[in-house]
Amino acid sequence: MKNTLSLTVNGITRDDVVPDNMLLVDYLREKVGLTGTKIGCDGGECGACTVLIDGRPRHACLTLAATCQNAKVETVDGLSRDGRLTAIQRGFNEKLGAQCGFCTPGMIMASEALLRRNPDPSEADIRDALAGNICRCTGYVKIIEAVQFAARELAA
Amino acid sequence: MNKMIPSRSIGVPKPLIDGPEKMTGKAMFAADFQAVDALVGRILRSPVAHASIVAIDTSKAEALPGVRAVVTEADCSNNHGVLPIAMNEWALARHRVRYRGEPVAAVAAVDVATAQRALDLIEVTYEELPAYFTAAEARAEGAMVLHDDKPGNIEREVEFDLGDVDAGMAAADLVREMDFHCAEVCQAQMEPHAAFAEYDAARERLTIRPSTQVPFYVHKMLARVMGMPESHIRVIKPHIGGGFGCRTETLQSDLIAGLLARKARGTVKLVLSREETFITHRGRPETHIKMKVGMKKDGTITAVDFSAQQRGGAYSGYGIVTILYAGSLIYGIYDIVSARFKGYRVLTNTPPCGAFRGHGTVKTRFAFENLIDGMATELGLDPFAVRRANLLVAPTMTENDLLVNSYGLDQCLDWAEKASGWKQRKGKMGPNKGLGMACSHYISGASKPKHWTGEPHATIHLRVDWDASITLLTGAAEIGQGSSTVMAQCVAETLGVDMGRIRVVAADSALTPKDNGSYSSRVTFMVGNASIDAAQNLKALLIAAAARKLEIAPEDVECLGEVYRGGQQDQGLTFEEVVMEALTGEGTLAVKGTYDTIPESWGGRKYRGAAIGGTMAFSYAAQVVEVTVDPDTAEITVNKVWVAHDCGKALNPLAVEGQVQGSVWMGMGQAMSEETRFHEGLPLHANMLDYRVPTIIESPPIEVGIIEANDPHGPFGAKEAGEGSLTGFLPALTNAVADAVGVRATELPLTPDRLLELLEKKARDERAGVSVSGKLA
Amino acid sequence: MEHLPEMHLQHPATVEEAVKLHAAAPASRYLAGGSDLLVNIRRGIERPDSLVYLNGIAELHTITDGLEQISIGGAVTLRELAESQLLRKPFSAVAQAAGKVAGPSHREYGTLGGNLCLDTRCVFYNQSEWWRAANNYCLKYRGDICHVAPGGKKCFAAFSGDVAPALLLFDAEVELAGPDGRRRIALAALYRNDGMDHLTMTRGELLVAVHVPKIPAPVRTGYAKSRVRGSIDFPLAGVAVRLGLQDEKIADLRIGLTGVSPLPFLVRGLDKFVGRKPDDACLEELREVVRGQAKAMKTTLTPPHYRRRVAGALAQKLAESIF
Ligand SMILES: Cc1cc2nc3c(=O)[nH]c(=O)nc-3n(C[C@H](O)[C@H](O)[C@H](O)COP(=O)(O)OP(=O)(O)OC[C@H]3O[C@@H](n4cnc5c(N)ncnc54)[C@H](O)[C@@H]3O)c2cc1C
Ligand code: SF4
Ligand code: FES
Ligand code: FES
Repeated sequence: MKNTLSLTVNGITRDDVVPDNMLLVDYLREKVGLTGTKIGCDGGECGACTVLIDGRPRHACLTLAATCQNAKVETVDGLSRDGRLTAIQRGFNEKLGAQCGFCTPGMIMASEALLRRNPDPSEADIRDALAGNICRCTGYVKIIEAVQFAARELAA
Repeated sequence: MNKMIPSRSIGVPKPLIDGPEKMTGKAMFAADFQAVDALVGRILRSPVAHASIVAIDTSKAEALPGVRAVVTEADCSNNHGVLPIAMNEWALARHRVRYRGEPVAAVAAVDVATAQRALDLIEVTYEELPAYFTAAEARAEGAMVLHDDKPGNIEREVEFDLGDVDAGMAAADLVREMDFHCAEVCQAQMEPHAAFAEYDAARERLTIRPSTQVPFYVHKMLARVMGMPESHIRVIKPHIGGGFGCRTETLQSDLIAGLLARKARGTVKLVLSREETFITHRGRPETHIKMKVGMKKDGTITAVDFSAQQRGGAYSGYGIVTILYAGSLIYGIYDIVSARFKGYRVLTNTPPCGAFRGHGTVKTRFAFENLIDGMATELGLDPFAVRRANLLVAPTMTENDLLVNSYGLDQCLDWAEKASGWKQRKGKMGPNKGLGMACSHYISGASKPKHWTGEPHATIHLRVDWDASITLLTGAAEIGQGSSTVMAQCVAETLGVDMGRIRVVAADSALTPKDNGSYSSRVTFMVGNASIDAAQNLKALLIAAAARKLEIAPEDVECLGEVYRGGQQDQGLTFEEVVMEALTGEGTLAVKGTYDTIPESWGGRKYRGAAIGGTMAFSYAAQVVEVTVDPDTAEITVNKVWVAHDCGKALNPLAVEGQVQGSVWMGMGQAMSEETRFHEGLPLHANMLDYRVPTIIESPPIEVGIIEANDPHGPFGAKEAGEGSLTGFLPALTNAVADAVGVRATELPLTPDRLLELLEKKARDERAGVSVSGKLA
Repeated sequence: MEHLPEMHLQHPATVEEAVKLHAAAPASRYLAGGSDLLVNIRRGIERPDSLVYLNGIAELHTITDGLEQISIGGAVTLRELAESQLLRKPFSAVAQAAGKVAGPSHREYGTLGGNLCLDTRCVFYNQSEWWRAANNYCLKYRGDICHVAPGGKKCFAAFSGDVAPALLLFDAEVELAGPDGRRRIALAALYRNDGMDHLTMTRGELLVAVHVPKIPAPVRTGYAKSRVRGSIDFPLAGVAVRLGLQDEKIADLRIGLTGVSPLPFLVRGLDKFVGRKPDDACLEELREVVRGQAKAMKTTLTPPHYRRRVAGALAQKLAESIF
């Protein structure tokens, strides 16, 4: 079964013919061509594919694209404004919140969701919000610092 | 006149130069490459653990519309392997499969559904053979051999006996012996293996982007396995989502992607699932260690006698090196006067093990630091004092001929002791809380490369053209560890220019000089030195040009990075002007820098394989771990870690901290939750739910103290920073748990169920009146 | 690119429409958050041809505070449950359990209905098609032996949803809608002790809502969960405790368990603790009772001995800490 999917991806309205059995992550990467969203596991276990749907974090690897009718999908590819890094991206860059960078798109999107609803998170809030995102490089110490950096930048 | 001061790039925290791409999703990993006509690759894997392949019938799959290629061993010209002396793996199993999940055939098709259907249509007839899932079973009398040239299923038996161990034991005041068992663990880097292969059918040439740490080895093995001239292959390393050692050898998926692309005469994208990535494995082997140590009342170690048995999996891989390291690196950290080792690397019907961060040293160090901690307790000595009683004095050669030119372990100990408040807090932590400490070390690259060709260890090219930008060409593989940044820093510092002038082009065999790859922490040391050498060569050219233009002698030219001048009063020449002068009559500047190790660092001839362990410099680390144990659930919480790491000059303190934190934390996973077990050869942890990589919730704060015992040969004095501190976490944890609840764990990972068993045993023993420290005897 | 079977996705707007659409295809499944179902489809242990997507049904998204009961729609997300003001004392256990499911992103879209109707889990079952085929499958799906208890014909796959044991503390009822209309049954009656077929719902029934009766007595409740990591992991054992004291003596005691058998259940034989002081001896005894009924089998990589013991320990700790 194929149907027309109408939604916005990073602020751009799209209509695509999409089969019912296509995962959102495959739609984004292969159909739209936005490969920023990563696949790190066989389903729901790592958080690398985290995107925002209507402002809420969600695993694109356990979401059927066809369930995103009229939704607002945001990925890491569309985060920076006018080519400039946003606060959370600067935080991850300057504080070395990313080493290999593979978990980073998911981490950044989960952090972005956190900062939007809680601009002044405690360390515990940060840990809770990122508890479903696995990073194999950093030991998370600098990821926490990255989010704190971004929160400070946003407050300034 | 601020501008006159040369820019500083070394010793200051620097974000990674390839950071912005990673923040925006623009960094291209192997699976991110797209092409309209790209075919989908899929691998058929063996469902059985050990069998002869009687027949493979691919005809139905080939006939399926949309299938463009089906490959089997018949398409391979040769076998492969990472060690020239132990190549026994086939990209696709030849005549026999030796572990469950071994690749048998592969297809390339127009879409996933077709590729999947094609796999289902391939008929393989197996004749099952006896399979062995533990080292003991494989070594048992009468066991069938996995490889005809490996009798007894022994990949390699290693031994050495240096100094007088028996006399050492006799001279000791306390001798203790214990058995240790560490589970197999896997790198579980976040990016599943992938390769994007394009075959130019008109020219018979292959371009491939594999997720590898060793593009050069992949290049070599592709040529060997595909039977192609090396010059017809181009390997471009994309962004790499971690590796930690599992990508330091050519993986079947790299080779299969090439084979499929050639047969399909097109482009193939092969992305493994997480399960397949786990099956590809190359992790740290399950290891049994028996260790006996003799100690004087003052903590001086008189002798070490130990053995290790590793379950290596079905193929040789790095096995020989791993078992050699497990022995040789008992040295290099303390003053060990006598040691005896016997090691067995065993072949079994499980996925092949490989090189994992801290290669070879981890389990030996765990056993040693755990054992001497208990002995310290028995002797009433402070664990720090025991370490201090056995320090080396650099420069020195160890008993097994390892070169130690710089040594900051004493300073590491001081830092960790102070930062953790050890003296004030140890022994006063209250019930179920404890402090533990341990030390570790690691090499800065093996001094003898595996493929000995007579070429330098590292080569760097610098190119400067009319736009006055500097392009650094390196074969070294940036895998997230920050190697490209370090090289740019070394060149910028040497020239005194801003790092922004330097663009790094890394790991494209068509453009960049060959490099052996990112493993054994060789890159900063070797490639860093080559970068400095190249920058010095460039600087000499620029100074000569400036001298010509200023009409002064070269030795009178003062180089301030962005300005070259004759003296204080001279306004001088800008970098651009100097470059223009240098290009006059010459054209584009292309200079080279190289690095080679010195023969004294190659290790001796004291026993077969003694060269393994030889390095230009060792890093050192000491760490303190604080834990709380819940006595009811036996859950361990790591409250905090204090770790000091001697990396020589910290070229980029930010990256050093990141590497050290990542290492310690990876040690924590191995110590507490990660393991790879099998059900009759089927992996039981081949997903990110059952392979328990720690989440952010249980990951502790890790405070890093950077110790700079500069090495005379290191680039600006730098040494290894990305592996050495992993190892210390394991024993520091068990030592902390022993401090907290009085049981000494010898089996890892120390999951709650294992600790509970120890606590229950302790309770039973106490009821029966057995003293707990009796466990040591 | 993942290969999923051909499926038809339906978007009903009402419960009745959903039930009708479900009945129309031979192998239909309700799709709520998909955080369990899609994993299972990807692994080939579910092969539906039609998915009835529940998200568009307004009725399923409400939480209402009635006179006698709190009613929670089947598609209410776990995050909403965890944050709901209505689920404060004495219903804390429910919010706590919801807040401990999986990781934070799962809770954003994972639903109550999906959590209660979660498939049972076993290390020999939650594997890829290749893996299960290589292992000759098992009783629960396509095979004819059980790898956990090879002699028997029973499946021990463990129910591992966190929320059910908490709801069991309150005599919660579930409202089901099927082709024959709606009915209400006790939550406890939704489950049976069979890992292969642990839900008593008839084919095509939809879980519309959970009704939680309000309780007058001053009881306190809580939920504790054992898992190897601090997040993401399913429970090795999950324990919900309800405790009411009168004159410092136990007046009300219930304990719900999950993760240790094919169904979530209330621990039996707790009456004997009523009227006793919750002192150390009493709680020790309680621990042993819970441990005795937590009959975990080798369905997880963590050995059953630990799961039994930790269930008892968590019950004791919770009972101790609630007041
Ligand atoms: C990595 C990972 C970790 C997890 N950890 C946990 C955990 O710790 N604890 C835990 O409890 N769960 C865990 N889960 C499972 C899952 O996320 C939750 O149980 C969640 O609540 C399921 O809800 P859902 O809406 O996503 O269900 P779905 O996947 O949509 O559905 C699950 C099942 O319920 C049926 N169903 C759904 N809604 C209804 C309804 N209203 N009426 C009838 N049938 C219905 C579906 O047909 C399907 O069979 C985990 C999942 C993953 C991927
Ligand atoms: S308990 Fe037995 S039958 Fe049930 S899923 Fe596990 S192996 Fe299969
Ligand atoms: S790829 Fe979606 S959670 Fe791992
Ligand atoms: S930065 Fe590599 S996985 Fe997080």
